[in-house]
Amino acid sequence: MGALTAPCPEVLVSLGAEPSGGGLAPSRPTTIEVARFGGRTLPVALEAGTFLLPRVMRRPGPALRVALAAIRASLCAGDDLRLRVHVGPGAHLELVDPNGTVAYNARGGRAAWRAEVTLAEGARMSWREPSFIVSDGADVLREIDVRLAPGAELLWHETLVLGRSGERGGALRSLTHVRGEGADLLVEELDLRDPRLRELPGMLGGARVLGQVGLFGRTPEGPHGPGRMDLAGPGAITRALARQTYLVDEALTPVWHAWGGHA
Amino acid sequence: MGEGTGELGALLLADARLPTGGHAHSATLEAALAAGLPGERIPDYLSARLRTVARTEAAAAVLALRAGLDEPVDYTTVQAALAARTPSHALREASAALGRGLARLARRVRGDHPAVVGLSTAAQAVPGLRPMRPVVIGALGAALGMTEAQAARAVLYDDVQTVTAAALKLHPGDPLTTAQWLLDAAPDIEASVRAAVATEGPDDLPARSAPLIDQWAGEHTYATRRLFVA
Repeated sequence: MGALTAPCPEVLVSLGAEPSGGGLAPSRPTTIEVARFGGRTLPVALEAGTFLLPRVMRRPGPALRVALAAIRASLCAGDDLRLRVHVGPGAHLELVDPNGTVAYNARGGRAAWRAEVTLAEGARMSWREPSFIVSDGADVLREIDVRLAPGAELLWHETLVLGRSGERGGALRSLTHVRGEGADLLVEELDLRDPRLRELPGMLGGARVLGQVGLFGRTPEGPHGPGRMDLAGPGAITRALARQTYLVDEALTPVWHAWGGHA
Repeated sequence: MGEGTGELGALLLADARLPTGGHAHSATLEAALAAGLPGERIPDYLSARLRTVARTEAAAAVLALRAGLDEPVDYTTVQAALAARTPSHALREASAALGRGLARLARRVRGDHPAVVGLSTAAQAVPGLRPMRPVVIGALGAALGMTEAQAARAVLYDDVQTVTAAALKLHPGDPLTTAQWLLDAAPDIEASVRAAVATEGPDDLPARSAPLIDQWAGEHTYATRRLFVA
């Protein structure tokens, strides 16, 4: 990790000359499109974006596994990472992100991380993000937009981490919008920009790691517990809050597996 | 129809003596205290609520009030939008229980008003979910001629006073102190009134969440000893 402590080139800090809006630099989205052919899921389009390169991982079974590899250090000031995923009818995608994301000190600048996921009829996708770390001085907008066609299912595991070890963490605003059949399943804004407000009782209190496993499109059987929330529509979220990532993982990994998450 | 009753309606909805079942609720304070919230931090808990879940509810009441004055009255979208912003089943059920008491009141006092008759549309929005509290407050607001700001403030005031009344039972202290908590919360309340009135439609209904409130509400459903239903 030593090499990653200051990976953002200074030039990015003064990108003010050509921002695409909100101080963000224009970027190319990473695109993943998969479809079902016979009994298997195959890539239709895998396009590298400015920040991430999608790579197929050979594995047995009908699902296609795609890993996201970093092309360059992110998120730095001005970075606007975009990810677009489309899973065709009846196809099954496992998306893995072995490295997770670190938003670095933006020194007064901002960054964004946005994902658009669409699942066609009967499509399935599981997506595990190991951690999304918001370092001191970072100011990042995270936005996830999901659309599910009838019979589609998304299993998603995210872990938001405020600060690297010993840090209080920077500013994060995380928007989640999941649409099911013609209706919203989940609309949520986690406004964690102001440390004083996010540490209020009822918000995060003393926790600095918030993890959740969400299954959208189907209401799972167990496990039940106080951290589980059954949505008004088909779906459920199990959430865990803690000071340390490993405690959140301990609570959520069994849920991930119980709800059908890949190994 | 609502002539002359708007101001009274605002007082009526704010009155703890209103027999609509609010006394059985703590706005998740009981679970918060059980999880270790120190009594002296209850004002901070109020602030967290007023910026997040209570703001969403106030804005939903405003949208419902507008829907109650439309022709035909249709609360489907506001009830669905509020449900999508309330991931906790426990909190949706608590809101629906309070909505039920208020709907009973609405039917008694303005049962023939289209805004009240139209509450059946809210019940159809999400299978198994009765009209939630802000939707019914909006309907009552429309039927009684309340302003949008009055309806929003009634929701926020009631949220604060639900916490303070429960605090006096769970963490006994000087009742005059809780009046101070309410007045100290005025900037948070008025900021949320402004946000509620500025809400244009269900798509921009505020959706700020408070993860620990959701967590505590979940823990409360597993609690074996409890004074309040939620």
